[in-house]
Amino acid sequence: MKVGEKKKELLINLLSLVGFVLLWQAILILTREGIFSIPFIRLRDIPTPVETWNALLGSMFTHTYGPSLTYGIYNHVFASLERVIEGGIIAFIIGVPVGIGVGYSKLIGNIFNPLIEIVRNMPPMAWIPIAIFIFVSGGSIFIVFIGVVFPIILNTIQGVRSTDERLLDAAKTLGASESMIVTKVVIPSAFPSIMTGLRIGLGVGWMAIVAAEMVIRSPVGLGYFIWNMGDLGRYAEMIAGMIVIGVIGYMMNISILLLQRRFIKWAD
Amino acid sequence: MKNSIKIFSIVIFVIFTIFVAGCLQSKQTPVVSEPINLVKMSGQEMIQKLGTGEISGFIMWEPYPAIAVTKGLGKDLILSGKIWKDHPCCVVAYDQDWYKATNNSDEILKRMALVQLRSVEYINNAKQSDSNDHNELINFTMQFGGMTDPAAANLSLADVEFVYNTNIPDTTTFIRKIQDFGIFVPEKWNQSGYKNASDYANSLVTNKYVDWAINNKDANSSIISLKEPVTVRYGYLINDIHELPFYVGWQKGYYRDVGINISIAEGAPFQNGAFEMQKGFKSNTIDIGSLGIPPVIIHRINSNDFSNDDTRVGVIAGMNNEGSIIVVANNITSLKELSGKTVGFPGPGTIQHVLFLMAADKEGLKVSV
Repeated sequence: MKVGEKKKELLINLLSLVGFVLLWQAILILTREGIFSIPFIRLRDIPTPVETWNALLGSMFTHTYGPSLTYGIYNHVFASLERVIEGGIIAFIIGVPVGIGVGYSKLIGNIFNPLIEIVRNMPPMAWIPIAIFIFVSGGSIFIVFIGVVFPIILNTIQGVRSTDERLLDAAKTLGASESMIVTKVVIPSAFPSIMTGLRIGLGVGWMAIVAAEMVIRSPVGLGYFIWNMGDLGRYAEMIAGMIVIGVIGYMMNISILLLQRRFIKWAD
Repeated sequence: MKNSIKIFSIVIFVIFTIFVAGCLQSKQTPVVSEPINLVKMSGQEMIQKLGTGEISGFIMWEPYPAIAVTKGLGKDLILSGKIWKDHPCCVVAYDQDWYKATNNSDEILKRMALVQLRSVEYINNAKQSDSNDHNELINFTMQFGGMTDPAAANLSLADVEFVYNTNIPDTTTFIRKIQDFGIFVPEKWNQSGYKNASDYANSLVTNKYVDWAINNKDANSSIISLKEPVTVRYGYLINDIHELPFYVGWQKGYYRDVGINISIAEGAPFQNGAFEMQKGFKSNTIDIGSLGIPPVIIHRINSNDFSNDDTRVGVIAGMNNEGSIIVVANNITSLKELSGKTVGFPGPGTIQHVLFLMAADKEGLKVSV
C-alpha cells in the first residue's frame, strides 16, 4: 500500500471516531432539550462524551474520601489483564500440545475430537456458575482458560494439518525421525496458525473475564468496577469502564498482530 | 563498543536486582495501611464463604449474621448499634410518580403508616418469650428470613429494633456521611438544588402519615378502612428481617383490614436497596416499598433524571433501627485484623456499606470497594 493511501485510511478512521463522538453528544443534547426520544430507552440517563471523559479522568487512579478507598481503573485493568495472561498461558501450555497431537496423529485425533467438539460449544459464560462452586480461588482465570484454549487447539490442528506435504516428504527422505519432523517441520509450519489461535483466544478471554468478574467477585477487576459503579448510580464511570475494556481488547489484538509480523517472517 | 555493552549490561543487572529486591521486600513487610476489601455478595454466599475461609467476615442484615453464628461459622464482632446507637435503617417509601397519578394517595399512605405501627406493636409484644404470639412470630421470622432454625430466628429478632417513627435529624446525619464519603455525583447534587443535608432530609421524609397513624391507632378498622380497596405494588429486600413488619402486616391481614391489597412488585424481593431503587422505583414497577435509607438518599440524587424526577421517592415511616452486624471468622478479634482481608457486603451504597465505613473511620482504617 502506498504511504499516501495509508494516511488517507488513517484519516478516515480518525474522522469516523470523531464523528461518532459528535453524534453521541448531539443526540444527548437533543434528548436533554426534549427534542428527541426513543420509546422504552432512558436516553437522558446516558452520560455525554464530556461527562464520560471527566469520569474516566476522575476514576483513573486510586483515590480516598475519609476511610473510603476507591481503586482506580488503572488497578482494575491490571487485575483483569493479569487474569487473562495467566489463563492464556495455561491455555497455551495445554492447547498447543493437544492441537499438535490431534492434528498430527489420527489415533489421538479420534480420542480427543468428540470431547473437543462438545466442550468447545459450551461458551465460557456457561462455565461461570460451576466455577463459583468448584474453585476456592482462580475461578475467573479458569473462565479465561476455557475461552482461550479452544481457539488455540483448533488453529493448531489446522496449522499442523496444512503443513506442506513436500516438506514432510523431504524430511522423511533425509532420514529425519518422527520427533524431528514434529519439532523441525510441523511446529514451525503451524506456528503462524497457533499465534492466530492465541490472538482470537485472548479476544474471547478478554470478553469472558469481564463477564466472569461481574459474577465471581474479587476486590479488583474491570467487570467488578462496572457493577459497583452501577450500584452507586455512577453511569458515566460505567461507560468509561466499558470504553477502557474496548480499547484494551483492541490494543491486545494489535500487539499480537504486530508480534506475529515481526517474529514470524515465514508466515507470509 | 564492547566496553559500552558491558557497562550497559551491568546497569541493567543492577536495576533488575533492585527491582527484584524491592518486590521481595514489599512481599515480606506487611503494609500497615492495607485496606479492608469489601466485596459484594449475597447473604447466602457470605455464610458459605465464611465457612470455607474465602472471606474473613461480612457485614449484613439479619438473619444472615444469626445463621452464621448459630452454625458456629463465625462470631459477632460489632453490632451496628455500637457503631451508631439507634441509627435508622430500613424505611417505608413511596414512588412520587405513583403518588401524583393516584387520587387518594395521601389516604393510602396514612393507612400504610398505620399498618406499620400495628405490625411493629405486634412484633414488639410477640418478641417476649412469654407472649402468646411468640411462636407465631418465630414462624413468620423463619418464613420471611428463609431460616429453618428457631434459635437463629430468636437471635436475629433480638438484634433488631423495630420502629415506625421517621427520623429527620438522623437522616440528615446519614446524608452528611454519604457526602463525606464522596458517594454523591457532584453534578447530580448540584442539579438537585438542595441547599444542604438538612434541606434534603426535610424534603425526603414526611412525618404527617405517622402522626395520623398514632392518632388513629385504636380506631376500628371497619371505620378507617378505604371505601374502595386499592392494590399496591410492594417492593422489598430478600430475606431481610428488618422488613419483618411488612411480612407480618401482610400475613396477618392488617393491610387488607384497611382496604389495601398487596401485590408483590415485579423483580421483588430485591438483592439490595440500590437495585430496588434503580429497577423498581425508577422504572415505576413499585408503588410503595421498604429498603435501607442510604440507597434512598443516594439514588434520589445519583440515579435521578431531574427533568422528570423519575427516582424521586418519599419516606413515610421507619421500619427498624440498628440490626446489621459485622460477623468475623472465629480467629479474628478486632476490626484492625481485617486489614488486607476480604469482607462480604451487600453492595456499594447500602446501609451496611455506610456503617462499615463509619466503623473503619473510628479506627483510622481504610476500606476499599
